[in-house]
Amino acid sequence: MSEAVVARASGLGFAYRPGDFAVRNLDLELRRGEVFGLLGRNGAGKTTTVRLLTTLLPPTEGTGELFGRDLRHCGRAERQRIGVVLQSESLDFVTVERNLTLYAFLWSVPREAAKSRAEEMLELFELDHVRHRKPWALSGGERRRFQVARELMHDMELLFLDEPTVGLDALTRKRILAYLARRARAGLSIVFTTHILHEADELCDRIGILQGGRLRATGAPADLKRGYRGSRFVEAEFDRPVTVEEGRDLDAMLARKNPEYTEVARGPTRIEFRAPDAEGLVAELAGWASSRGLKLLRIAVREPTLEEAFVGLVADGAGLEDDGAEAA
Amino acid sequence: MKLPPVLRLLARNFESNLDVITLIVMFGQPAFLIVVLGTMFTPIVGNLGTGENYTSFLVPGMIASQMITGAVLAGRIFWLDRRWSMVEQLFSGPFRRYEYLAALLLTTLTFALVGVGIMAVVALPLVGLPLLSPVELLLILGTIGLGAIFFGGLLIAIGSRIRSANLYFTIQSVLQYFLVFVSTVYYPVTSKTPFALRAIVYANPLTYAANTVRDAFTHHFGPGDAVAAGVLGGLSAVTFTLAVLAFRRLDFGPVQ
Repeated sequence: MSEAVVARASGLGFAYRPGDFAVRNLDLELRRGEVFGLLGRNGAGKTTTVRLLTTLLPPTEGTGELFGRDLRHCGRAERQRIGVVLQSESLDFVTVERNLTLYAFLWSVPREAAKSRAEEMLELFELDHVRHRKPWALSGGERRRFQVARELMHDMELLFLDEPTVGLDALTRKRILAYLARRARAGLSIVFTTHILHEADELCDRIGILQGGRLRATGAPADLKRGYRGSRFVEAEFDRPVTVEEGRDLDAMLARKNPEYTEVARGPTRIEFRAPDAEGLVAELAGWASSRGLKLLRIAVREPTLEEAFVGLVADGAGLEDDGAEAA
Repeated sequence: MKLPPVLRLLARNFESNLDVITLIVMFGQPAFLIVVLGTMFTPIVGNLGTGENYTSFLVPGMIASQMITGAVLAGRIFWLDRRWSMVEQLFSGPFRRYEYLAALLLTTLTFALVGVGIMAVVALPLVGLPLLSPVELLLILGTIGLGAIFFGGLLIAIGSRIRSANLYFTIQSVLQYFLVFVSTVYYPVTSKTPFALRAIVYANPLTYAANTVRDAFTHHFGPGDAVAAGVLGGLSAVTFTLAVLAFRRLDFGPVQ
């Protein structure tokens, strides 16, 4: 494993019972200083992947490495270099402040350093006003902030965050993401699972999309979006409502020209299509509008959002339509 | 200076999961029983044929039962750690599983020995305490220590396989009451004790511990006590192994 790679999985899998795989055939490389997002629907295998890579679960197939050492043989030396914010809340039955310093004590952080870091974390995660409360008396958002703050009490090279921003308001989320981005720029590698896709788009250098325990796609957010069914979106707005007859004519014309043009939305004066050949579709729409005496007020080509790419990928794999309905 | 991982975990166990009220109740209950049961039963029971009164008989039994108090407290810490995902959190950190287990058993041992001290302090004004030889003292502490590891290991092994707090605490209570009441902690086995009950009482590790403490108190330490300590050691090794195996296969799924 090169110095640039902090963790690697090759055909990695885990079955809770024989044949019942939660994760299967996972091929993955996590690089130093990168933020890697793991996306997937509920039950896609994100948490199991985190548990495998943090050595909490032993792989039942394939191989994996953490800092160059086989996951099956990893021990304290490797785990000392990682941090893990679990999806489930974990806490000690002491005050918020003492939780932070006690956790630092468990990680052998010197007492003075622990005290000053606790102050920094209490301020950064806006927990100063609840420092003397017990964690279970905090609000949902405060408890989540507390989880992240506590993990950052010790030094690490690779941080696993399993849905760290669940239940956080937008401002707090932005603040935490900005902090994580700063830490990543300083060399910290981060593995990040989330359901909030624009957050992953904003923070992650690369993203892996899990479905049914298998990695369906990996790449930079921009690449995933570009690779979304090889398509882009074309939005057109006309100066007057399109009649039913004109609509039928448009559908027939587009189906003749290219059956891969897929309607995404249609309003009285506005239509949106997904098209592998966006420029071609623009030309067809312009020509058709002119032949029908419709004036085009606006026509635009845009890249798919990460959410559209994600929904498209996952829907393709699960036999679902984009809107989430079961395919007939 | 960096403390060894087991000691760091031990310190955390003492600080994090136990509140003062729980400790007062856990240690106060047996102390309360020595005072109340001793006072109420002594006039009824009279002497037990050995020349000693009921309180004098009860005190060694209550001291031996501290192995259960210690184990119950450690089992409680483990359960709370599971419930609040601290087991998972610690295992993903700089700790090995056996270190966590060792810290739990050390916690059990410490609580058991603290309990012994508290019982001794409570008993002193009531019946006085015999002057024990170093061997007798060592025998008492060793027996209770082994008993604490036996029962602690058992509770941890059970607790690691169960996902419901209700079920865990029910099993713990049933086991606790069964072991305490079907033993010689509160009463001796006599010729009138039914055979089946006698067999169960003698199969109960707490009986060995209670009898050993009693023998040490009356300076009647004999080969039977050494055998009892050996058996207790063997049983502790079995439950310790069970706990280690359970930890290897510990399921981190949700518990409630």
